[in-house]
Amino acid sequence: MTNTPEFHRQVGIPRVAAIEYPYGRPVGQVNDRDGQRKVLKATLSVLENAKEPGQISHLPFTWPEEPKKVDWHPPEISPIVKVNLDEIKRLGAKMRKKGKF
Amino acid sequence: MSDTSKVVDGFLFLPPALRAWIGKDIPDQPFSGRIPWVPLDKSISEATFTLMTSAGISMKSDPPFDMEGEKAEPTWGDPSYREIPKTATENDIEVNHLHVNTAYINQDLNVILPLARFQEFAQEGLIGKLAPTCYSYYGYQTDPTVLLSETMPQVAERMRQENVEAVLLTPT
Repeated sequence: MTNTPEFHRQVGIPRVAAIEYPYGRPVGQVNDRDGQRKVLKATLSVLENAKEPGQISHLPFTWPEEPKKVDWHPPEISPIVKVNLDEIKRLGAKMRKKGKF
Repeated sequence: MSDTSKVVDGFLFLPPALRAWIGKDIPDQPFSGRIPWVPLDKSISEATFTLMTSAGISMKSDPPFDMEGEKAEPTWGDPSYREIPKTATENDIEVNHLHVNTAYINQDLNVILPLARFQEFAQEGLIGKLAPTCYSYYGYQTDPTVLLSETMPQVAERMRQENVEAVLLTPT
């Protein structure tokens, strides 16, 4: 199972169920038993039906919150982001200039 | 499962600057190496499963994953693993991860290590069974040498001892 198929396809996983759920909660929302079961049944179905190595199946589920409002971030900036913060800000400014976002 | 048109955007939840920084090192092409493949030769209703997550989960009775080492050397991540009994709940575990908000896992372990859901599936006959032991490691590994050469062979051997036939890996 992956919530970042662009990243995980680079390591050659045999069978992949991709889901557009936030970091830290790939199976679903807290205490949402029914929702978690649906996601896991769909994931098991990928195991049953995958025909070849590296196949990525994109699950149809949509997270109910606006992406910008999803609180997935750690309480403190991670050490690797902290030491690269200037470069990250520079890349962000460059993308803004290009009108990418 | 009728919507087959969805293509998951793995960067959807990232702020744009972080998206640009992480994305710049990811090749825009398929994996070209050998991908391991073992055909599933039986119904999942007869198969023994285990679960493994990269979320940095440990039992409260075990040593936690080392976060201080990463704080001192930001390119290093703890390459060890922990065993999590299939009966564990959020009350039994500790989560250490410097790259996500771990609060949700502490509220409901099933959001990332769905032990209770798989126990239900076993009771309902959807899967054969959940092995006695599930696993966690720490997903932040910029150099996976130790993880791959030392840690994972130990995990694989433990899985063999419990006759595991299928593993669900859940990311952080």
